[in-house]
Amino acid sequence: MSRIDRSIVGQEFDRTTFSPVTAEQIVAYATAAGETDPRWTVPRPDMVAPPTFTLSLRGKHFMPKNMPAELGRNGFDAGKDIELGAAIRPGDVLTAVATVHDVYEKTGRTGAMTFIVFRTTVTNQHDQLVAHIDQKMMFR
Amino acid sequence: MILDLHAHSEASEDSRAPLETYLKWLQRKRDLLPIDGIVLTEHRQWDPHADYRELEDRYGIRILRGAEVETDYGHILIYGVNDDMTRRFDFANVRLAAQEVVSEVARLGGVAAPCHPGRPTIGLCEHYAAGKPPLDGVVAVEALNGGSRKGENERVQALIDAHGYGAFGGSDAHLVSLIGICATEFDDDVRSIDDLVAALKGGRYRPVDFREQVRAARGAA
Repeated sequence: MSRIDRSIVGQEFDRTTFSPVTAEQIVAYATAAGETDPRWTVPRPDMVAPPTFTLSLRGKHFMPKNMPAELGRNGFDAGKDIELGAAIRPGDVLTAVATVHDVYEKTGRTGAMTFIVFRTTVTNQHDQLVAHIDQKMMFR
Repeated sequence: MILDLHAHSEASEDSRAPLETYLKWLQRKRDLLPIDGIVLTEHRQWDPHADYRELEDRYGIRILRGAEVETDYGHILIYGVNDDMTRRFDFANVRLAAQEVVSEVARLGGVAAPCHPGRPTIGLCEHYAAGKPPLDGVVAVEALNGGSRKGENERVQALIDAHGYGAFGGSDAHLVSLIGICATEFDDDVRSIDDLVAALKGGRYRPVDFREQVRAARGAA
């Protein structure tokens, strides 16, 4: 049996609607990422954000307040999976909803580990899916 | 025939390899990797509804399925998974009792075989060395694992010599380019998972290692 309380799976812990995306925001993100292509470094009203732009969105809470106590407080980033949907353009109003998607254990060369997957679902003002972002955190 | 007995597709949380891409890779690398089939052994799970017959027909590569579970003696591959086994064990439990897994899987018609036995923490060798009693009923171990680090496969021969286990090989691929690099050559045809279970109990097989020729081909490219 798992030693980790899985009752938090499915729990929504953050819902944030952001100000309309601006061309300047897209340029700032692309520039910070080292992009030099004018498609992303020159602001235009019809420009499309780079696919990973959604990772620059910051909600109010990074993780639930009621994390299982047995995990402790120190986890580390174990990677992200992003499923992309509709393109992001200036003027889009994005909403990010974060839930606990999964909790599981595994064992490896260095011992037992517990992973929590936080899923952020990003939609736009047309209720189109923009991205699913699965952020894994590993605790041991 | 030659089967890779240990592979993970993207159904395992730590793999990024789509099954069909494995098949395309094996089709393209046929001269280098003469693999007739693969056994998907996803981590801690069993999907009773998965059906890959259409892909088998399209690529001419046999696709069988097992599971890799986690126990108090390390990781164990289960071949011949059936409903009785999934009712008997929670495959997601990382603390399964290895002896129960080996005995019950055999009773229920399958084979449970420890994988990467030479690996620290999750390999059989370390648990035996720590003084735990040897498992009863083990018919074979994965003597050759494509994901092993230097020295890990080398530890397994002493285990086999001491306990008389059969020896097989698997790539443990989590990435497309690693499929088939270690595998098992069977003297008899293996057309189904029941054939595989029977073959593993029969002993007419051996591990085969394609890593060196893959490395040489990469070096020449």
